Amino acid sequence: MKTKADIAKKTVLAVVIAVVLVLPWLIGPYTVQLFILTMTYGMLGLSFAFTIRVGLPRFDSAAWWGVGAYTTAILMTKADMSFWLTLPIAGVVSMVAGYVVYRIAIPRGMMVFLMFGMVIALAIQQLFGSVEFFGGWGGTEVIKTPAIGGLVFDGKRELYYLGLGFLGFNLICYYALMHSRIGRSWNAIGQSVKLASSVGINVVRYRMANVLISNFFLALAGSFYMAFSLVAVPATFGLHKSLNVIMYVVIGGIAYSLTGPLVGALILAFVPEYMRVAAEYESIITAVVIILVVIFLPGGVLGWVNGQARPWLLRRARTKSIRSESKEPDSG
Amino acid sequence: MSLLTLENVGKNYGKLEAVSELDFSVEKGTIHSLIGPNGAGKTTVFNLITGMIRPTSGRIVFNGEDVTRLEPHKIAQRGVARSFQQTFLFMEYSVLDNVLTGFHMRSRAGVIKEFLHTRAAREADKKATEQALEIVDFMGLSEQKDELAGNLPHGHQRALGVSIALACDPTLLLMDEPVTGMNPTESNEMVERIRRIRDRGITVLLVEHSMRVVMDISDMITVISYGRKIAQGLPDEIKHDRQVIEAYIGEDTDAA
Repeated sequence: MKTKADIAKKTVLAVVIAVVLVLPWLIGPYTVQLFILTMTYGMLGLSFAFTIRVGLPRFDSAAWWGVGAYTTAILMTKADMSFWLTLPIAGVVSMVAGYVVYRIAIPRGMMVFLMFGMVIALAIQQLFGSVEFFGGWGGTEVIKTPAIGGLVFDGKRELYYLGLGFLGFNLICYYALMHSRIGRSWNAIGQSVKLASSVGINVVRYRMANVLISNFFLALAGSFYMAFSLVAVPATFGLHKSLNVIMYVVIGGIAYSLTGPLVGALILAFVPEYMRVAAEYESIITAVVIILVVIFLPGGVLGWVNGQARPWLLRRARTKSIRSESKEPDSG
Repeated sequence: MSLLTLENVGKNYGKLEAVSELDFSVEKGTIHSLIGPNGAGKTTVFNLITGMIRPTSGRIVFNGEDVTRLEPHKIAQRGVARSFQQTFLFMEYSVLDNVLTGFHMRSRAGVIKEFLHTRAAREADKKATEQALEIVDFMGLSEQKDELAGNLPHGHQRALGVSIALACDPTLLLMDEPVTGMNPTESNEMVERIRRIRDRGITVLLVEHSMRVVMDISDMITVISYGRKIAQGLPDEIKHDRQVIEAYIGEDTDAA
């Protein structure tokens, strides 16, 4: 029975990967653009869900995303650096800055962390807008697109595959971390701080490591964002965006750390588009969607799929096979 | 030789004295019970020993080292484990995974090696699983090892709480009301296990309401009331101590 479920799981995974790989050849460039956005937002959601594992909800994910975007933008324009070289630097800048801020907040527990997050979200946005070096509220532009040798990532398809590379790397790292001993200790902290420290887990240090890794990947998502948007504007990285990131995770299903954020980002990238409404109504639609999800799908979309839809399909399949079996003697 | 010594320990919350001038020692290899009427400060004493709260005065010495100001995880790393009064478990983990979490301090394969799944890390994992199974077996949870902790009946949850503490490989085990809410059969099994834990060389400090259990298994008893020590002695001495009887009768009158 278990192997059957395993095979089904692997088949689904293979089909999803195959579809994702050929997708840009089947759809128009505008839809490809929506998928690129989905991947970016999905990465933000992944990093939010990542710190949720240690019981820390972060309200500043978009701010660190911005730190990555701005680091890449500044290094490319002012230091004429190649896109690829800016990636590790963006990640490290985000980690170091994160460490400075969070060594104060993390030892003081979840509520302080949460409030710090909001303050940081506002402060970093203000920093980008008000400090002349970062290009002001109008933002900062880059003119170069990333390239490896002759391959230039300027078309939608190329950027789509670049995004897959970023997202894939992020997913693999998070998967490996969550399934290691460190992941077990993180989970333990998320379930009970008291019990975790009573078995000798240094809660502060483990939380710090988790948050800084999350910071690294948020910045990486920001660098990727620069590759396709080519402009960083402070308004993009505000508290409003961080709240949206939480929506992705809740809508996808907060218990599904790796798949939930992607499903949520996909839904929130496409639903407003397909309802053909102007951008100013997007917030209202998002609000309606989140209320509906909380009322009707408290476990998120994936929680519903696993809890209701799949058992229902299995039951149907079983009754069908029983029926067809009982019919066989008649026909014979 | 004393394993744990509390010297003149006090804890105030503003003007309220939760614990004051508390002095007692726990001898190595014994089952030592801490008893007293409701609200006497027993759980506070446990929280002080494990570093969950810090004393306002006095000193706590464990194994010859002053641990008064250490953080909880550091005290745990020195060999003090605790099973909680409320059922504190990793509810979304299986029984075996709960116990493995307690192995946090034992398996040190190194973060990088662990991440890269080296052979040493895998070996350490395998060994940890074997030892965890042994503990699960010892606590009578073999049949439930893959069950989610949140789905276990109360008695088994209690046993699992103790299993997690044992996984920490403690020198001193603090048990907060281990038989509360258990039926007589479960309670007797737990008492037998506590004895066997002591026989393994682990010193046990016990807080328990059931006098039957306390009198049955304790090597030494300390009685506190309103955060102060009022008596200490062998079970037979405590049974006939006037102050102790008064403290408990006082409580009964209050309750009535």
